Amino acid sequence: MAGFADALDDARIALMSLADRTTGLANPTLRLGVTGLSRAGKTIFTTALVHALTQSARMPVFEAASSGRIAHARLEPQPNDAVPRFAYEAHMASLQQARAWPESTTRVSELRIALRYATPRGSLRNLTLDLVDYPGEWLLDLPLLDMSYADFSRQSLSLARAAPRSAVSGPYLAAVATNPPTAPADESRAREVAGQFTAYLAACRSDTLAMSLLPPGRFLMPGELEGSPALTFAPLDLPDDGTTRSNTLGAMMERRFEAYKSAVVRPFFRNHFSRLDRQIVLVDILSALNAGPAALADLERALDGILAAFRTGRNSLVSTLFRPRVEKVLFAATKADHLHRSSHDRLEAILAKLVERARLRAHERGAALDVVALAAIRATREARVRRDGQDLDAIVGTPEKGQRAGGHVFDGEEEVAVFPGDLPLDPDSLFDPSDTGFRGLAAENPEAADFRFLRFRPPAGIGEGRAIPHIRLDRALQFLIGDRLV
Amino acid sequence: MSDESTTARNAHTADARTTRRPQVFRLDEEHITLAPPEPAEPEYAPLDAAALSPRKSGWPWGSIFWSALGGVVSLAFYVALSRLITDLFAQSEWLGYLGAGVALVLVLAALGLVVREVGGLYRLAHLDHIRDEAISALAEDDRAKAEKVTREMLKLTAENPGLARARVDLEGHLGSIIDGGDLVRLTERTLLPNLDSRARQMVSDAAKNVSVVTAISPRALLDLAFVLFTAVSLMRRLAQLYGGRPGALGMLRLFRHVLGHLAITGGMAAGDTLVQQLVGQGVAAKLSAKLGEGVVNGMLTARLGLAAIAVTRPLPFDALPAPRLADVATGLLRKAEEEEQKKPKDGART
Repeated sequence: MAGFADALDDARIALMSLADRTTGLANPTLRLGVTGLSRAGKTIFTTALVHALTQSARMPVFEAASSGRIAHARLEPQPNDAVPRFAYEAHMASLQQARAWPESTTRVSELRIALRYATPRGSLRNLTLDLVDYPGEWLLDLPLLDMSYADFSRQSLSLARAAPRSAVSGPYLAAVATNPPTAPADESRAREVAGQFTAYLAACRSDTLAMSLLPPGRFLMPGELEGSPALTFAPLDLPDDGTTRSNTLGAMMERRFEAYKSAVVRPFFRNHFSRLDRQIVLVDILSALNAGPAALADLERALDGILAAFRTGRNSLVSTLFRPRVEKVLFAATKADHLHRSSHDRLEAILAKLVERARLRAHERGAALDVVALAAIRATREARVRRDGQDLDAIVGTPEKGQRAGGHVFDGEEEVAVFPGDLPLDPDSLFDPSDTGFRGLAAENPEAADFRFLRFRPPAGIGEGRAIPHIRLDRALQFLIGDRLV
Repeated sequence: MSDESTTARNAHTADARTTRRPQVFRLDEEHITLAPPEPAEPEYAPLDAAALSPRKSGWPWGSIFWSALGGVVSLAFYVALSRLITDLFAQSEWLGYLGAGVALVLVLAALGLVVREVGGLYRLAHLDHIRDEAISALAEDDRAKAEKVTREMLKLTAENPGLARARVDLEGHLGSIIDGGDLVRLTERTLLPNLDSRARQMVSDAAKNVSVVTAISPRALLDLAFVLFTAVSLMRRLAQLYGGRPGALGMLRLFRHVLGHLAITGGMAAGDTLVQQLVGQGVAAKLSAKLGEGVVNGMLTARLGLAAIAVTRPLPFDALPAPRLADVATGLLRKAEEEEQKKPKDGART
């Protein structure tokens, strides 16, 4: 059954990519996917990227822009009528007027930029850049396609019973215990378990736990599917052989799990994900460091899941027509502005460590993969603080209202200098399995944490005709689309 | 240098975590420097010429010989000069003073020459040094080295009026957060395209001149002399263009360098194949012998020029494409073909 569905999907993907390429002949199009787990900064990245391209910001490393070869970059009507447009103007307004970060990505959205550029030899060309912004949680759903309901239940329950998730999974596990899979199929039981499961997933995402691997992704971002049967299921404590009898709660859940795969996961994979040419994956390492070793280990697992979803590799003529692959993947550690520049290399090293396996795989298949520490919008300045005979490389910014550090609660107006802690020289020490690598906010005494990354407000004065300050946004662009502008 | 020491200190304290906990400071506290701590002007150890040349094993008999010879010759020179001046004083006093004055001028001029030569050598060595730094900055993506390279390049191009705007841009970018490799590439892209195209033009012109002169010159010895002369002046001008300004000794060194480069690359670079094939498959053969010789000599000059560019350009070709033989020698072939096409018509008329 699954094999047939896969084959059907493949045929549809092939048809669509053939159609894409045919229209692409007249007007070359590049589809750039922007993703990342929630709060990694997807919306901010996309907004800053659009602003930088259309307002020709200062981007020395992005060669086409710095040498003046881009004649203009304009927003164009979004081509896909069934997909929401990326609300660039609203996000810019939020940055400018409220000096607040825009709302986060909860669904897939697209935006089209038409670039007109001169090749180095001087002839004028067009390139259409389609930005596809989608939640990284949805990528974690892709491995579900190869999973049965029994596998899914077993994996989810073992995660829920282990530390640190066991701290918040109590109510959900209680609901699982009172609703065995052999109970009669009943909507109110299903709603109860699913409700507890969703609440448990949401609790895992809080600041102190900062878990990343939370499939199914739509439970936290339901969008228009909220309350539908496809989202009203939960892992149950199935018997070891994984079978369910008809008309039981177990069978009902299994059917809904399959419905989730066919109604939610497959269409996303087919319509959006399989058509990408380039991909940037934003990773918020700093939040994981903030929370503790468990969060970092979880982030590593989640990234593994994301990486497994990518079909990377250089496109041959045939694969270009029928089954395109992602040729270039950039992993970006966002919020690099929360660190002094002297620590950026270490942040990059941690990220490189996280995606090491993916790098090997991509290399074998001829795809380009790179890592970068970036801040699409730079919210801080740097400073040097002298304390007890040593210089601390600090950053200066305005913490958001309600952020607290060192027993002090910030009001959202005061500017402070922060020394966030030293990242280790050797990233391996963070991945120490003994859980003693470092202490985070999830430890018993949050004040003893090794790192403290505050959330800062966006810089003042965005959009007054000035370019938005950034860190290495130009390098990211050069890697992602630079080679298509020659 | 200051960056490295910072890194070392961080590495030291990373283990002793207790000393560097996360901290928050109010901006009105003491000892907070708000301006972003720009890395201080890098200090250089003075260039050690001995360290740059490959180390030789065993006793340096050669240099002992030359130093001793130099000592003997200068002693002889001194004796001859002092005797001459004594003789002049013996003849008459004013003649003696005149002689002493002229001798003094002679010595001063010799000193000046030596200083200039040493300066030329130093500048060439400095170009090599910058290039080595740039190569390692690119390989290691090292920001501190890249910044040093960029500052050196800014100094080197400071006298080039056409680059005023580019220099200001680049100086502005020095403060922002750019990785080492990217910074070197940015420097190359900002400062060198104009110089590169002029260098290319020089090589191409020299090659054309050589091919024309070879084609019309009556004697082989004359050709050879002209090729040599053109090659040397081409090298000098290329070195000047890229900021080298070599003296006579510097030219010798440069010449050795270029020949060495040619030997290593075998005079071949990727992309030569087009020209090679054209020549191999008979363009040269179809041409009259003299014209063919011209093309070959021109090509030799072009290759020498490319090698000279490679050894005098202060940065490696990374962001910009390296000129290929086809770029600088296509004019040659076209010219030869035109000549060839003209010929049969001439022949038909007579």
